[in-house]
Amino acid sequence: MHLHGPHPEPVSPAEYPGVLGRLDARAKIVALVGFVVVVVTTPADAFAAFALYGLVLSFLVGLAHMPLRLLGRRLLLIMPFVVVVAVFLPFFHRHGAGSLSVGPVTMDVGGLLILFNVTVKALLAVTATSVLLHTTGISSLLAGLERLRVPRVFVLMVSFLHRYSFVVGEEFRRMRTAMDSRNYRARWLWQGGVLGRMVGALFVRSYERAERVHLAMVSRGYCGAAPPTAGLPLSLWDGAFMAAVLLLAVSIRVAGPYVGA
Amino acid sequence: MHIPDGFIDAPTAVATGVAAAGVVAYSLRRTGRDMHERSVPLLGVTAAFVFAAQMLNFPVAGGTSGHLIGALLAMVLLGPWAGVLVMTAVLVVQALVMADGGITALGANLLNMAVAGGLLPFAVFALLRRILARNVTGFLAAVAVSSWCAVVLASAAAALELAASGTVPPSVALPTMVAVHMIIGLGEALITTTVVAAVLASRPDLVKTFPSNLKPPATAPALGRRGRALTFTGAALILALALAVFVSPFASSSPDGLERVAEEKGFAEAALEEPVWAGSPLPEYVFPGIANDRVATALAGLVGTLVLFALVFLLGRAVRGRPAPGSQ
Repeated sequence: MHLHGPHPEPVSPAEYPGVLGRLDARAKIVALVGFVVVVVTTPADAFAAFALYGLVLSFLVGLAHMPLRLLGRRLLLIMPFVVVVAVFLPFFHRHGAGSLSVGPVTMDVGGLLILFNVTVKALLAVTATSVLLHTTGISSLLAGLERLRVPRVFVLMVSFLHRYSFVVGEEFRRMRTAMDSRNYRARWLWQGGVLGRMVGALFVRSYERAERVHLAMVSRGYCGAAPPTAGLPLSLWDGAFMAAVLLLAVSIRVAGPYVGA
Repeated sequence: MHIPDGFIDAPTAVATGVAAAGVVAYSLRRTGRDMHERSVPLLGVTAAFVFAAQMLNFPVAGGTSGHLIGALLAMVLLGPWAGVLVMTAVLVVQALVMADGGITALGANLLNMAVAGGLLPFAVFALLRRILARNVTGFLAAVAVSSWCAVVLASAAAALELAASGTVPPSVALPTMVAVHMIIGLGEALITTTVVAAVLASRPDLVKTFPSNLKPPATAPALGRRGRALTFTGAALILALALAVFVSPFASSSPDGLERVAEEKGFAEAALEEPVWAGSPLPEYVFPGIANDRVATALAGLVGTLVLFALVFLLGRAVRGRPAPGSQ
């Protein structure tokens, strides 16, 4: 099956760029998710640690041949949350932390540290997951998750979600074009009912399409089992990559708080 | 609504992660009982639909918009446990593919959207269906109210998690988040109800929680002039009551502008010495005879809003009831 979606995927793993593209999905999942977990547990004032994490990640971004514009677009996603925390800044009053005035705005140093903490951690984590996805692709990622003992039904469901999201998305785009070409635009809450009926029609349309596909699959002998994924053992390179990333992360985490002090 | 990595600290992430894993494991067992691996593709397409619907921004006012959560919609369509799985799949794909919502915050996001914004309001839905009339209108009314609850509860859960992580101050974050989402919730309720009504009109068998002995509507119900007015009034009343009960206790206790000026200019005492109406039933917006300050303020807000609504309603009837001069 070939999908024409917004993000068409390379068919074979060999088409993924760089050295990282050739590694086993499991190794990359363990290494990069482990990296994110270590980053999240780092105390907020270990500034040197965050700089070093950034250095490790920028090396990985280079190895992954990742376009910086793509990375930038993903990093922008966390901005709404940064704004939410920034709005609450004037309300933080940690005794004795002191305050900082920039023009008419007085900010609390404790509050600023919290803002720095959440922003830098979110940026590092988004970069790490982007490297993971960019070098692996969703189908090998899911195969890797299944081999890491994530329940099979769940992995199957996620893979169907991913496939059908293109179908539903295109169906929706067609309905949207129809709406736009009739010069309709909902601006106020009470016009939401029109969107509601559109979404209802979208559900029935995509469901009926999936039903037809499902019946066709069952009549060809589908009984819930996906074709077995290639069961190669982890190579030496996979192990080396995992060990290198995790060891670097843990040693930065342990040494970080002492470097700045 | 999708909390990124870093906004949830390690202890909160572990606690929410363990709780969420438990809920997902239980849902897997429950759905496994009456569902084969064969029907997984059909769950998958519903998940894809929720995934797409979450990208749909609906208008709130002017240019601002909110987006659907869709957990309650999935649960009404598929039943609660399959709904949890659908939301989990959606959140996993969003975290991995779109970098929307963090990996360490997955448990927290799942608790917000599948439990606080899914299972809890589904319980409200089940309760309402026992109370309300057993016909299509009653069913849709239960969908509307519980999907509004879903948004409010999900936002409250998100605020509590962020507060537990020390990211935002709880006393400010909770009322702010809840107040904003009370308005966004109206959009969710409107859209969820029309979606369910539209699906009922063409494929009632796809709405799993719809009792098979009921007659589904022949066409997607459209509200007439009177229906729209009733819906608008009802929504406004619910919103006002909810604001009064949930938000007023957390409002600033500082004096308002007039009181402040009065204190500064020294005429505050003049007012205090001789209140115009000494027998006010709710002095200083606090319900008498209740020890807890916040509960007392909430009750006072509830009663005050209801009385005000009744007064305005009666006034409106009275004004409209009088025929305009020269109209006949």
